[in-house]
Amino acid sequence: MPIQLSNLSKNYGQGAVVADVNLEIPSGELTALLGPSGSGKTTVLKMIGGIEKPTTGRIVIEGRDVTDVDARYRDIGYCFQAYAPFRHMSVAKNVGFGLSVRGTAKKEIRQRVGELLELVRLSDKANRYPAQLSGGERQRMALARALAIEPQVLLLDEPFGALDAVVRSELRSWLKELHQRLHVTTILVTHDQEEAMDLAETLVVMHQGRIEQVGRPLEVYDQPVNSFVQSFLGPTTLFDGVTIRPHDLVVSPSGPDVVTNIDDLGFEIRIAVTRASGEQTWVQLSRPEFLDTKIASGDAVSVSRR
Amino acid sequence: MVTSVNETPAVSTSPPTVRSRRLRRVVSTVTAGGLLSTYLSIIVILPVVATIATGVGASPDTTSGSWWPGDWVWHSNFSAFVDAIGAPAAWHAIWLSVWLSLLAASVNTVMGALIAWVLVRDRFRGQKFIESFVDIPFALPTIVAGVVFIYLYGPASPVHVNLFEAWTGLFVALLFVSLPFSVRTIQPVLVAMDRDVEHAARTLGASPWRVTRSVIIPSLVSPALAGFGLAFARCVGEFGSISLIGGGIARTTTASTYIYNLTQGFLWQGAAAVSTILLLISVTVLTGATWFAASFHDRRAL
Ligand SMILES: Nc1ncnc2c1ncn2[C@@H]1O[C@H](COP(=O)(O)OP(=O)(O)OP(=O)(O)O)[C@@H](O)[C@H]1O
Ligand SMILES: [Mg+2]
Repeated sequence: MPIQLSNLSKNYGQGAVVADVNLEIPSGELTALLGPSGSGKTTVLKMIGGIEKPTTGRIVIEGRDVTDVDARYRDIGYCFQAYAPFRHMSVAKNVGFGLSVRGTAKKEIRQRVGELLELVRLSDKANRYPAQLSGGERQRMALARALAIEPQVLLLDEPFGALDAVVRSELRSWLKELHQRLHVTTILVTHDQEEAMDLAETLVVMHQGRIEQVGRPLEVYDQPVNSFVQSFLGPTTLFDGVTIRPHDLVVSPSGPDVVTNIDDLGFEIRIAVTRASGEQTWVQLSRPEFLDTKIASGDAVSVSRR
Repeated sequence: MVTSVNETPAVSTSPPTVRSRRLRRVVSTVTAGGLLSTYLSIIVILPVVATIATGVGASPDTTSGSWWPGDWVWHSNFSAFVDAIGAPAAWHAIWLSVWLSLLAASVNTVMGALIAWVLVRDRFRGQKFIESFVDIPFALPTIVAGVVFIYLYGPASPVHVNLFEAWTGLFVALLFVSLPFSVRTIQPVLVAMDRDVEHAARTLGASPWRVTRSVIIPSLVSPALAGFGLAFARCVGEFGSISLIGGGIARTTTASTYIYNLTQGFLWQGAAAVSTILLLISVTVLTGATWFAASFHDRRAL
């Protein structure tokens, strides 16, 4: 279901935490809200979910103005930043809560919960309590709980924020697959640009309560509207006084520039270069590229655009 | 966990280091345990044992000269214990104490939870002021509370409520002295509660009442039980205020007042015997509440 935010602002007393946000979120897609910590991502999500009241502005979901509608009538599945499990309820009770609130028959709840637990691969943990789950399992439980009410919109607040790198990437591809299967309009909040680039069909970059840029991920990556968006989406460096991506540069042996340092990060190699003009720049190469150049620290090289 | 952490270096370090480290661990455990149990013994266990010993009329024959109580010849006067606790007046007093305390602790658990809720969740003028009111029953000598109650709810009551020599008077006094317990046990739990859990319930369609019933109340069960246990024990032990407002008549004599009356007649064994029963009841309720709270809490605590 498409979501329209118009002139949305939130003020907690002092300054505006979210300022004049206008946004159209396409139906059935996964939209990522990307921004640094404190940029107002959670606040936007909470206003859409009906947990915080906007100071000004309207929220329209599929043509219905929900700005003054209570959270429980919005039909939104919300996964909170810290999962917010009901800790005195078993996993199955957690997942079935939304249905039991709606007065669904016990037998049907049991069946639906069974299906959902299968979907999030927690069938064998149905009778555990949240405290007995790992972080990743708790996250999947929260997701199943939100999906149980068959929401028209799914809001995910940093769903992988507190997980280690392995579980993170595992859950990420799982979520991608899940979204392709269910096609629920989803808004995902993250401050991890890689995650956003990988998952999102639409990318919204936020900074200090404002939207900096909206677009397809590659579009935003390649044509950032300002230096904030550019540097937030990936590393940047200076070349001839222009900010560009270090992977758009190459080094070749011999020339006026000098290699001052080489950082070997495994697949990625970062080569710091002082140019003849005195400009400090750096070049990002893959390991095979780097091995081909055969350069070492202190070598005279020349840096150019690809 | 501690063991595995401490033993990891065993692979890489030489044996003496490991041994001395292990020794140090044993020594520190023994000292910590020893200090704690010595302190507890002197402050709590010794008086409790002495009360029970006096209650059953235990008297040692120390002519053997040994310092160890196990070597002494012990005489007891168990029939006096039975007589003391079998007296109808004693039973009346104990029963009165128990049901009044149960009632007061129950009412205060509910009211305490509501007060804690208002103190944590609402914002209003004078909140800090009211907050400091809660602890007054801790600070005020209960005999003073008794004097105030006699003035306020006695025969000369300015508000025309005479609770003197009535169980209702005792009840009001017990409500007063046991109020802080449930407020102070529930309050920190409410402060630490993650509001997003309630928000999650709301987004899933729960009404405010359903959120309260399914999310908030279950997480308050354990602190409420703990508060209940403490409040009950406090009520059973209360003496100052209820001895005054009870007026010294048989009908309103609670266990603590009864014990006091016995000591006034130098009936030490009888006093200790009734105390033993009182102690037993309090310990049962306290451990029961703690156990129940813990069993409710264990797997659910994050
Ligand atoms: N209840 C509140 N009262 C006052 N200020 C708040 C409140 N909630 C959030 N803020 C402020 O609003 C700003 C944005 O907060 P928000 O939680 O939306 O950030 P975020 O983008 O989600 O950050 P993060 O990535 O760290 O989760 C922050 O500066 C925060 O201090
Ligand atoms: Mg956030």
